[in-house]
Amino acid sequence: MGDQIVLRNVTKRFSTKTMGDIVAVDNFNINVKEGECFSFLGPSGCGKSTTLRMIAGFEDLSEGEIELCGQLVSSKSKNLYVPPEKRGLGMVFQAFAVWPHMNVFENVAFPLRIQKVNNMDINQKVAEALKHTSLTGLEKVYPSELSGGQQQRIALARAIVTNPKVMLLDEPLSNLDPKLRESMRFEIKALQRKFNFTIIFVTHDQSEAMAISDRMMVCDMGKIMQIDTPENLYNKPVNRFVHNFLGESTFVEVVIKDGKVYPKGHMDQNININIPSNASNEMVIATRPNEISLTKETDGFKTHIEKRTFLTDRTEYLVPIGGQLLKVQTPHRIRFEQNEECFIKFVEPMWYEADDKEAEKERHKRQLI
Amino acid sequence: MANVKFENVSVSYGKKQVLKNFSLEVNSGEILCLVGPSGCGKTTLVRALLGLSKPDTGRISIGDRVLYDDEKRINVPAEKRNIGIVFQDYAVWPHMTVLENVMYPLRKRKVPKDEIKSRATKALEMVHMVEYANHLPSQLSGGQQQRVAIARAIVVDSDVLVMDEPITNLDAKLREEMLIEIRMLQKRLGATILYITHDQQSALQLCDKLAIMQKDGSLCQYGTDDQIILNPANRFTFEFIGNSNFIPVIEQAGKVYLDCGDKFLYEGETPSGVSLNGKDLAVRLNDVVFDNSSNIKAKVTSRIFLGNEYDYFLTIGNKEIRVEQAMLDAKEHGVVNEGDTVGIKFLNPHFYEREEV
Amino acid sequence: MGNKDYAILDGKKAISVDKLITLISFILLLIIVVIPIFMIVFNTFFSQTGNTWKFELSMFIRQMTDTKNLAAMWNTIVIAFFATIFGTIMGVFYAWLLGRSDIPAKGLMRALFNIPYMFPPFLGAMAWDMLLNSRSGYLNRFLMQTFNLSKMPFEINSVWGIIFVEVSYFFPFVFMQVVSSLERMDPTLEECARIAGASQGTVIRKITLPLMKPAISAGALLILTSSLAHFGVPSILGYAKRIYTLPTRIYAIIYNAGGNFQGIREGAALSVMLVIVVSLALVLQNIILSSGSYDIIKGKSMRPTLIKLRGAKIPLFILSIFTLILIVVVPLVMIVLMSFLKAYGLPLSVSNFTFEQYERVLFRGGGTVDAIKNSLFVSVTAGIVCMFLGTLIAYVVQKIKPKGKGALEVLSMLPYAIPGTVLSIGVILAWSGGIFGINLYNTIWIILVAYLARYLSFSMKTSSAALLQVNNSLEEAARACGASHSESLSDITLPLIRPAMVSGFFLIFLPAMREVTTSILLYGPYTRTLGVQIYSLREAGMIPQAAALATVTIGLIVVLNTIVNQITKDRKGV
Repeated sequence: MGDQIVLRNVTKRFSTKTMGDIVAVDNFNINVKEGECFSFLGPSGCGKSTTLRMIAGFEDLSEGEIELCGQLVSSKSKNLYVPPEKRGLGMVFQAFAVWPHMNVFENVAFPLRIQKVNNMDINQKVAEALKHTSLTGLEKVYPSELSGGQQQRIALARAIVTNPKVMLLDEPLSNLDPKLRESMRFEIKALQRKFNFTIIFVTHDQSEAMAISDRMMVCDMGKIMQIDTPENLYNKPVNRFVHNFLGESTFVEVVIKDGKVYPKGHMDQNININIPSNASNEMVIATRPNEISLTKETDGFKTHIEKRTFLTDRTEYLVPIGGQLLKVQTPHRIRFEQNEECFIKFVEPMWYEADDKEAEKERHKRQLI
Repeated sequence: MANVKFENVSVSYGKKQVLKNFSLEVNSGEILCLVGPSGCGKTTLVRALLGLSKPDTGRISIGDRVLYDDEKRINVPAEKRNIGIVFQDYAVWPHMTVLENVMYPLRKRKVPKDEIKSRATKALEMVHMVEYANHLPSQLSGGQQQRVAIARAIVVDSDVLVMDEPITNLDAKLREEMLIEIRMLQKRLGATILYITHDQQSALQLCDKLAIMQKDGSLCQYGTDDQIILNPANRFTFEFIGNSNFIPVIEQAGKVYLDCGDKFLYEGETPSGVSLNGKDLAVRLNDVVFDNSSNIKAKVTSRIFLGNEYDYFLTIGNKEIRVEQAMLDAKEHGVVNEGDTVGIKFLNPHFYEREEV
Repeated sequence: MGNKDYAILDGKKAISVDKLITLISFILLLIIVVIPIFMIVFNTFFSQTGNTWKFELSMFIRQMTDTKNLAAMWNTIVIAFFATIFGTIMGVFYAWLLGRSDIPAKGLMRALFNIPYMFPPFLGAMAWDMLLNSRSGYLNRFLMQTFNLSKMPFEINSVWGIIFVEVSYFFPFVFMQVVSSLERMDPTLEECARIAGASQGTVIRKITLPLMKPAISAGALLILTSSLAHFGVPSILGYAKRIYTLPTRIYAIIYNAGGNFQGIREGAALSVMLVIVVSLALVLQNIILSSGSYDIIKGKSMRPTLIKLRGAKIPLFILSIFTLILIVVVPLVMIVLMSFLKAYGLPLSVSNFTFEQYERVLFRGGGTVDAIKNSLFVSVTAGIVCMFLGTLIAYVVQKIKPKGKGALEVLSMLPYAIPGTVLSIGVILAWSGGIFGINLYNTIWIILVAYLARYLSFSMKTSSAALLQVNNSLEEAARACGASHSESLSDITLPLIRPAMVSGFFLIFLPAMREVTTSILLYGPYTRTLGVQIYSLREAGMIPQAAALATVTIGLIVVLNTIVNQITKDRKGV
């Protein structure tokens, strides 16, 4: 399978009145394989939407080029720009964007009418698209009479009716309630299997991205942080930002002295853990609240339960580790009482250099724009 | 501060009866979280307490002060009830500054002028909003506006504070912070708080006591958080508090079987002295564990990686169940794959009457 | 869960507060709106002999079949029809140009396009009459000389002339509706049509225009009803050539009757005819343009992508500038120039200029100063009374919600749909001794009563909208803080809607200052208003004086508008 979407050195600069020039997308290189579901994930202002809009053809490039299905569609150096309607894409937007003045059938038939498909084929293709989005029987209904979920299905049907090779999904589930969001995820995957298109999925919701993607790109402040499979991204984040962004994280600042690891500022008890070879003296251990082993067996770092809170399906304990509070989550069946003695162990945590406050500031500034 | 008592309160709107003989007590100096799905009558109860709608029958009292009693024909008007209220939509008056908002209840209670300002400032201090005293609400964020609303509610020594979904309009991160602050404030004031929410999570985090309300407006469980987490009184509570699987069981010749097309012998915990016929085994998604020594075999139909956990769909006979495997378990014991047949065990099971859907 | 609860809980006192407000609202609407309308219908179909009233259809039928009246009706319809068509096309075209394309100088052009909206159309008609009438119009003469024509090229005193002037003052109705609708439209609605394969032109035809339909038809409806009921332009441009529309015909009949009751009755019958035409037009429009309102607005704010005009940019820009000059600058300049002229007809050269006209108008009696005082008095009074009354009714409708609130709403909105001319006849019939022997005729009060009826819906609308924004919980929070029902009203609700009430006041005050349609039928020897005074000066042939007073009026409007904008800019509350 070849690369269906290729971005080469794509850069986008905006000039703003208040902040001067902003590099919204900084030298993106992405190859998306045929049939892949690829997510752009990041906080607002990270450049994911701009990138998608450049692929769709709504924004031009400041530098670089974009190739769709082996054909160059945008190139700064060659001064080439194929308008959105000639790129043969399917696209679904966050706000549904179904046309309120057309009924369901006409909404879905619109792309075919533009292509001057004959009426018999239109009827057959629309029926097919509606069948796969469970909208059969609603042909004559106007969108305003339908729920958000149904409206988004119309948008999906409209996007698949021309059988596009590439499907762009711009936060398609963000306006739906959580239950529906989950079931729509499955429906999108089922449609992908049936119609065999490549998906680019833009979202700020990490769990959604992980559930749906084959591979994903995490970006921040206009830069690509990491591109990998969901499992690799979650388990081996390249930096603290990616770690924090991909799920609940808990961090312990540590110092390494004489080959032993101590919580920063408390040298009385060490944490028994393997030290990576490239570690400097001050590091941060990063892990997930539910990847910490919490036991009564006298094995591990000895401490006590500072605070217990019940979550709906887990219990959360705050556990002090040398002056820092560690968040630990367990199933309800593992029970500790307030102030009870306990032992913790880290299972394959990540190690990062002690952190950088400047990056945080810069991010805040960009989100304000 | 005093306790709040609802006794056999019934409220209806037009012909629709929302609450029927509802009784509940909020203990003095405690936070009671009243949780229920939307439309179950929580807000109706609050409005009856505040004096904004009139019950048909029953009695509402705070301490030894009766606010409403249909038999004795007592109905104290809203402005005389001495209850602090925080609404979901903040209800901070946009034409008054933060300070004016907080001073208003004192003015209406004819507190001496020189005292008004110092008390209002003190209340603002409590919610860390002193520096915004001269701002207009439109210049504040949602979270800050809600702080002003809280300051306004605590500035007079109300007998009780009512909070009706106070954090629902805030974003996730702020919600967490506000919960912690409300808790700290309650500790400092020793206030009695009736906290209304549809969100189980925040209720569990905040409460001294929880009261769970059912869709039909009846109270279905009252207790501390661990009582409710560990011993959900009925199927509704169990289902409402967290994600769950229900598997039909039958009892034959003293043995318990899972009844899902095929029958599987169940050897886990059972309650003693009760017949399990006509009941469902109820189990949390993360209380189903893989154990190949178990004779209950299931087929893995899908595995999705969600970050915090792996989310599986398994079939046992004709029954589909969902399982969550925490990352710690996955790292220590490995994952199972789509298409595998695996043994499973149920930890912490509960048994409830079967419900026809 | 309404505020009905309060009433029960507050005991007897509050029941009377809410009920009292409701009762007052009904009574006032009865007096202001119902009685005049009733009087028109009653007097059309009943005649008095001695002390008995008798049903009589003949007078109405006579009026309905009178050829002059039928001709007036036909003119009314033709003018309204074409004014609506052209006004709508022009409004949509410029709205799209300014809202969606990359045409330069948008902000400036937008401000200029809104000027005709605050400008009294009858002043425009005066200006165009000076420029293009077929006897001595300045522009006509200039064109004749320049191009050596044998006759005057344009005739503004014609049906087409009236249509032209009305279009230039009414098209902003559509323009403003469509521009704001375009700006709030979710741009992804257009973008996904591009993705679906549609070119830019197809997107405009198939997506943008259909989505704008509700806004367009709302604006078109405003043009239609305004034109049908319009008095100023046809009366100024039509009289010279005896071209009448229904409103001007009604005026002529009343004027010629000279206070004779039979004449007023004939006017009433013609009013019924006008109301029938307006209603038919509304029904027809509803059938043609039946369309629901779409929810095309999404919360997420996004800049719509502007469409590049490329080669058409400069020609379209020039066209826009030309249009602006034609409809805004030319009439304005003409009136100002005229006001400096020694006498009408003299060439527009500096040697003929003088300040004498201003001096005459403002300082040498002739009733102008009285007219300004009168206008200020009725406008301010009507503004204040309507502001409170409208708020009162809005409160009843939005918050108390009694039985019959629908009727209350309809009654207060009714005068909005009834032509000003018709309203005047009703007021004359009701308050010149017709009811309880109260005779206000020839006093300033009768004008005031007519203004109240005419403008009540303005303040009612703004206050209603504001009250809807005042969430019930704001009042409830006050109750919980220890405020009684009436205290929560005065401490919370009233201050919150105060800015809306103030803008409601100005919404009435500004148009009332330049009103002609109703006052022209109601003024007496000492109760001329500003509009009437300009109109009469012109009728009397003192055109430069009329122009001077018009210039003063325009100056006044501009100043007042600026003040209003300053006040409403930094208002707090909802």
